[in-house]
Amino acid sequence: MATVAEPFPVVPSAPSSSVTGELQCRRLVAYHAWIAFAAFAVACLLGVWQMWARSPLDAPALTASNYFRSVTLHGVSMAFVLTTFFIMGFGYFVAETALRRPLPGQKFAWGAFWLGIAGVLMAALSVISGNASVLYTFYPPLTATVWYYLGLVLVVVASWVWCLLMIVAMRSWKAANPGKPVPLAMFATVANAVMWLWTTVGVAAELLFQMIPAALGWNGMVDVGLSRTLFSWTLHAIVYFWLFPSYIAFYTMAPRAAGGRLYSDTMGRLAFILFILYSLPVGLHHLFMDPEHSNGFKFIQMFLTALVSVPTLLTIFTITASMEVAGRMRGGTGTLGWIRALPWHRPMVLATGLAFLMLFFGGGGGLINMSYGMNAMVHNTSWVTAHFHLIFGGTVVIMYFAIAYAMWPAITGRAFRSLRPLNLQLWLWFVGMMVMTLPWHYTGLQGQWRRVAAFDYSDPMIASWGPWVIVSLVGGIILAVSALLFIYNLATLHRSGIPQATAEVPYAEAVHPPERVPASLNGFGLWNILVAVLMVVAYGYPIAQFFIDPPPEAVIHRLN
Amino acid sequence: MAEKPVIPEEESPAGAPAEQAAVDRRWRLYASATVGMALMVAIILGLLLIPAGQRANAGLSLYEAICRAVGLTPGSPAQAQPVSTAVSLPVSQVSWDPEIMKILEGGNTQRGAQLAARTCAACHGEKGLSQTNIPSLAGQSPYAIYKQLHDYRTDARAHPQMTGVAKGLAPADLAAVAAYFAEASKEYTAIGGRDLLGEENIEKLAREGDSRRRIPACLSCHLNGVGGPIETPVIIGQNREYMIAQLNAYADGTRKNDVYGRMRDISQKLTPEERAELARFFQGTL
Repeated sequence: MATVAEPFPVVPSAPSSSVTGELQCRRLVAYHAWIAFAAFAVACLLGVWQMWARSPLDAPALTASNYFRSVTLHGVSMAFVLTTFFIMGFGYFVAETALRRPLPGQKFAWGAFWLGIAGVLMAALSVISGNASVLYTFYPPLTATVWYYLGLVLVVVASWVWCLLMIVAMRSWKAANPGKPVPLAMFATVANAVMWLWTTVGVAAELLFQMIPAALGWNGMVDVGLSRTLFSWTLHAIVYFWLFPSYIAFYTMAPRAAGGRLYSDTMGRLAFILFILYSLPVGLHHLFMDPEHSNGFKFIQMFLTALVSVPTLLTIFTITASMEVAGRMRGGTGTLGWIRALPWHRPMVLATGLAFLMLFFGGGGGLINMSYGMNAMVHNTSWVTAHFHLIFGGTVVIMYFAIAYAMWPAITGRAFRSLRPLNLQLWLWFVGMMVMTLPWHYTGLQGQWRRVAAFDYSDPMIASWGPWVIVSLVGGIILAVSALLFIYNLATLHRSGIPQATAEVPYAEAVHPPERVPASLNGFGLWNILVAVLMVVAYGYPIAQFFIDPPPEAVIHRLN
Repeated sequence: MAEKPVIPEEESPAGAPAEQAAVDRRWRLYASATVGMALMVAIILGLLLIPAGQRANAGLSLYEAICRAVGLTPGSPAQAQPVSTAVSLPVSQVSWDPEIMKILEGGNTQRGAQLAARTCAACHGEKGLSQTNIPSLAGQSPYAIYKQLHDYRTDARAHPQMTGVAKGLAPADLAAVAAYFAEASKEYTAIGGRDLLGEENIEKLAREGDSRRRIPACLSCHLNGVGGPIETPVIIGQNREYMIAQLNAYADGTRKNDVYGRMRDISQKLTPEERAELARFFQGTL
């Protein structure tokens, strides 16, 4: 391969890659992203206070009910508001920029946006008023106020509208470009939409048939085992819903930002398809310690969980190879010399590198969580919290930052004056996340529970955890500083960036751009059938057992 | 693949060339076979081989072990489940079934009011506000009242008068009375909001407990809305002598209708002086 040392190698563009000019759905994307990031900033500050509450230092306003209120707000903001709104906004962005066509059904998109806002307000007010706490939301027989559940239903319905718009956008593109491969970024976005439709079936069933009737007082009893099982259906795949944008950035943005090409387009398609297949029939691994399921089905789902590591490993291989291509094109030599040659001053490249490091630790911890035997050791300890903060808070969110930094010039029509505050923010996030979560692994192994408001560190049994929790608090403070810097970076671009005309988004081309791909890698028909088969085998009997031989139900406890 | 003129074709994506159909078929076949094989391996391992390997230690037949692995019969294939021979002796027979819950949540009824006026008011006060050392029912939750009545009825708790009274009524009537007092004395729930004052060590015991003696805070359960067990009574404003008598009865084991022995455990750890002080603290008058 010829050595090209210039920072932006000219990549031959496809015939259709003329500049689209101004981003047409810029307001739509910006509104979604700002809602997401506003919730994110609030949640970060709450997170610091929670860390403070759990530490030996005296936190202000610490009562158990305040702690659980905060935990719930933190979790709902991060897991529902940040993710759903960001993913919807990013999806609209990809649909317009990758397909180079106007987004279909923008009216519906705006409708879904306001529906989501209404839902978020309903859920947030329920939590703030103390009528929905993590202890009684999705864990019957305790129930929260019905407004909380209805709020979440609205957010989910809004996301369904998004799913349909993404599918329609891809269909109409395919009709206009017969036989052509759907651009990878859009293929992956629709993969996420398809997976999300499957994912939400579990929690939707729980909400509609169990929680909402319970909260309204229509039924007096609830089958707790069934509701935990339905929730587990959603509980793992939802994480992959959040993860998809990061992987889309890995495959379609990072190689180009590094000045190279994607090593393999097919590998990307395969990885996204494997996520659809193996993120769904695996939720029982959250219920290893539950009595309502048999060993055999827990084992089957553990086995399928292990297969989720395949697309992750494929991705690490492909992206590392793409980066090596870029590094060598930039003059890097030797076994590892290409790493030094990469343009680490570009946020997307830096974020990808840091995301991979956090994925290493978070993924390793996850392999232990998902192992049926080892899980017993760390179940419901801060080990688990460390795992999902590294994967979600680390790998996923740092890529959300990088994506935002890539989208913002297109949204505002301005370029960043300097990339330094951006890179500083990414580094702070990485350092903060490591400092916060590595001690959690240790205290988790020592048996420190998650979701506990305060600890009595005068007890000699747990006194030694205290200093480690303070270290985590320091990590949390660094994270909060990074979060505020992120908001500042985005906000200032609206006013003080360098004006630029183009809204071109440079998606990475593959080393061998596909002329044609097999139909299976250009659509989702086959994969939907296979998901159905896997779900019937993995969840068929575990759910059917509650109807074949109904277990005793529990009396519902409602809020007064 | 070479660029070819677009030919309409039925099996491949619209407009793909005919030879693409063969590739598509191969993909569908291999992908399905791979996914199917992975699933088969999981099933064979989880439902056949592992139970087969574990059954010997548990003394199970292969068939039994597989049934347990699938979940058709209870138990783990790795461990025979011993049949318990212990006789269970629940400290309380109360069960929170939906019929009773409906009555308790239903509030005041004519039936409840009649029974209360006829049977209870003479000692407990018309609206449950007793002036003597007979416990006040005012401001209690219906669940707390029902639990105690049901316990008297089933001999889980004993009292010369109350045992007879409770045995004379059906559970549904007990629930109606409980619902009546809870509803009729709603105005007294302010009792629960009274500011409490006490010696520092007693206040600490009430609000924070004593972790060195493994005594939880009284108010971690005995306060509305903190999430204690459903039957937890309100003790703020309750009669002091009644509370001392109950704490002492728990401590010496003469009263034992507390689920999981929570109050017996706590009361034993408290000194007699602390019991008296706590009772005075919660009555709310120094």
